[in-house]
Amino acid sequence: MTDTLLDIKDVAVTFKTVTGTVKAVRGVSYDIKRGETLAVVGESGSGKSVTARAIMSMLADNARLDPASKITFDGQDLTALPEVEMQKIRGNKISMIFQEPLTSLNPIYKVGDQVAEIILTHRNVSKKEARKEVLQLFKEVQLPSPEMRLNQYPHEMSGGQRQRVMIAMALANKPDLLIADEPTTALDVTVQAEILSLLKQLQDTHGMAVILITHDLTVVEKTSDRVVVMRYGEIVERGNTAEVFANPQHPYTRHLLASEPKGRPEPLPESAGPLMQANDMRVVFEIKTGGMFTRKTHELVAVNDITAMIRKGETLGIVGESGSGKTTLGMAMIGLGAAHARGEVLFEGQRIDNLTRSQMRPLRTKIQVVYQDPFSSLNPRMIVRQILEEGLIVNGIGSSAKEREELVREALHEVQMDADAMTRFPHEFSGGQRQRIAIARALILKPEFILLDEPTSALDLSIQAQIIDLLRDLRVRHDLSYMFISHDLKVVKALCHNVIVMQNGRMVEAGPTLDVLENPQTEYTQRLVDAAFNVVAA
Amino acid sequence: MTDQTMNAEEVQASNGLSYWQLVRRRFVRNRYGMVGLIAAMIVIIMAVFAGFIAPYGVETKDRTAIYQPPQGIHIIAPDGGLTRPYVMGWGEEMDPVTYEITFAPDPELRRDLSLFVEGTEWTFLGLTFDTHLFGTADGTPFHLLGTDSLGRDVFSRMVWGTRVTLLMGVLVTAAALVIGTAVGVASGYFGGTFDLIVQRIVEFVKSFPDLPLYLALVAVLPRRAEPMTIFIMFAAILVLLRWADLSRELRGKVISIRTMDYVRAAEAVGAKDSRILTRHIVPNTSSHMIVWATYQLPEVILLESFLSFLGVGVQAPMVSWGTMLNQVRDFQSFAAAPWLMAPVGMIVISVLAFNAFGDGMRDAMDPYSND
Repeated sequence: MTDTLLDIKDVAVTFKTVTGTVKAVRGVSYDIKRGETLAVVGESGSGKSVTARAIMSMLADNARLDPASKITFDGQDLTALPEVEMQKIRGNKISMIFQEPLTSLNPIYKVGDQVAEIILTHRNVSKKEARKEVLQLFKEVQLPSPEMRLNQYPHEMSGGQRQRVMIAMALANKPDLLIADEPTTALDVTVQAEILSLLKQLQDTHGMAVILITHDLTVVEKTSDRVVVMRYGEIVERGNTAEVFANPQHPYTRHLLASEPKGRPEPLPESAGPLMQANDMRVVFEIKTGGMFTRKTHELVAVNDITAMIRKGETLGIVGESGSGKTTLGMAMIGLGAAHARGEVLFEGQRIDNLTRSQMRPLRTKIQVVYQDPFSSLNPRMIVRQILEEGLIVNGIGSSAKEREELVREALHEVQMDADAMTRFPHEFSGGQRQRIAIARALILKPEFILLDEPTSALDLSIQAQIIDLLRDLRVRHDLSYMFISHDLKVVKALCHNVIVMQNGRMVEAGPTLDVLENPQTEYTQRLVDAAFNVVAA
Repeated sequence: MTDQTMNAEEVQASNGLSYWQLVRRRFVRNRYGMVGLIAAMIVIIMAVFAGFIAPYGVETKDRTAIYQPPQGIHIIAPDGGLTRPYVMGWGEEMDPVTYEITFAPDPELRRDLSLFVEGTEWTFLGLTFDTHLFGTADGTPFHLLGTDSLGRDVFSRMVWGTRVTLLMGVLVTAAALVIGTAVGVASGYFGGTFDLIVQRIVEFVKSFPDLPLYLALVAVLPRRAEPMTIFIMFAAILVLLRWADLSRELRGKVISIRTMDYVRAAEAVGAKDSRILTRHIVPNTSSHMIVWATYQLPEVILLESFLSFLGVGVQAPMVSWGTMLNQVRDFQSFAAAPWLMAPVGMIVISVLAFNAFGDGMRDAMDPYSND
């Protein structure tokens, strides 16, 4: 037995699609030693997940593994193994953790039984013993009150807890190799840090090798021994993590490393007057529970008496975990949220919280919004020109089609896109380009205030930085004011003058960004700061 | 995740293709769907150019040939060797005991077939023609699928019947589509009390046992009215019970589309409800509507044939596949003239064709398909 656990050579995967074949992975080779952590880094579409699936021989139906590919695991050639033999290896010697803990657990079985099933399929033990082992595993992955968890269904757990169950499942048969495919991307920042520390700790106790697939460089730096950088299905750089980070060779790696959001916003002039003000905002959702005759109404306070003020030219950051009410607050302020919002909102000194939809319409051009997910915020049946034009048409801006086209062209130029994008559909663009189009849609109306609802969180890291630069640029050029909702303090630091930290609908801290970040007053803020800048601090 | 990876790959690969271009490419690769499309096109062409394709008119009677069996087309001469297509005439014989008239092919009476022959007149868009796709070169009678009790050509009537049956299918589907879309989209978009009331109506409509209801409703139709009036009223009855499914399905779809960011973004630029509905919501349900329509059409064809077969649907002198089958509803005529069942073949072919086409469209429009 050699020291090398897994050795893949010249792995190539092609996908057959309507528009021809796509080479997703082109000749990737890497190896991993026992007990080592290898990070595979790359943007989405770089083929890092596809390679991992090829190792597990879990490729999609229309994918084909090139016959020249060699995958050697523990001295055994996996590509030559029949499916039945492969099943014995999967979940037993090699296990995998997926990105989405919501969908990778079966909702109709109790979690305890799901984990026990893995043990029972691979080992000849009694049900009782298996259950005992599951309990042991749950303790190991630090699930709170593990005995109770055994009989719970997935929906009764939080995202972080579900990911812990997934990890328990992956560890059930003491695998030699664990493939973690973006295990923390779908989780909250603070939970992310906990899960990563847990993985690291478990790896040490079990002596597993871990392949960590991620696009988050901070995670790579803190957790891996070696790193492989992938782009367009090829490896562009490999080496020890410390060396690669200290001295990147390939321009793409350098680009990735340089793509951490940097810089600070332009200082705010002292004389800037208030543009948007919200006093004692309160949003309450009514949740009905119980049966027909035992109907009870719970009140869920999503936003609890928050007062916020944005001055002309200011960028105000709203930070918090998911579910803390930050988006609800933002939408309530611009009158696009629930009808249950209470409180006073002033825009340029005018009260806008009590306006009806049609009374609000003249103000819509001044108050704009950019949504989180550029894949759902652009109508897939419209070309870019129609998408941008819509605001002009409904507000009667531009008298002729020609004039409007000129405005569309201008807006595209503002967000650094070519004018020939006009005649194309959103699906032809990448995530970053789509977000630029979404920004152009807001910008074309010449607004004074833009609500940015996590505009960068659905994007790859290297693109995030570009969008941040663009937003900062546009703010100065058009004298805009932003309200920036985010969970990522790194981005907030680069963009916001002031920040409000929210938890469970309450404001826990507020003040100038640097003050809050450098000198957090509460434990909650401290945790957010740690998650953003240190990742595996605990 | 792989899904995301593949989406990104797809974005690169499919540059420059619109949604409909992608759908067309996927559809063309589906052999079953393509066969369905071609067969469905043939059925539609048959309906539109019925006068040209059918050798005779609906009411053209050949008194010399009552209950005459089909005449097969031969392309091999009696003495061997390939020849131009011909049919054999029938010699009539009367059984001396039972007085039953029987037909036997008479090899002496060879009748050559040719294309584009002159025959009974037919009109199309107000113009009168007398050219037919095929017929005997000398104009003597020729019945590809035999004749019925009045000596009318079964093949011709079947071709003409395509028109009525398909028209019924298209009319009912289109009307149900419009009503179902309007009700479903409005109910899903506006929600609240309106949605509550509309959905209870939908449930009420869906809870009716359809067959007894059709029979009861058809029974109230005035018997003496014009066939065309009855046709329209019959169609209206079918529509009444067909829109509910679609409206329920679309309501669900609209509720999910309504919360999409692009709808909220349209609201954020100040768009009114009417614009959001027509520009954002309805276009994004179009694939669902198209698939629904291609599944609905064959169902209506089946239902029409069935009710007309029972004699409660389309009324003579209008000819549909169902009314033609009505002629063989007793066993005697079925035993004596099994060729009168020919419309069954057409019904099966057209239902299969439209279903295959619908299946192909569904697969081609599936946004989650990877290939």
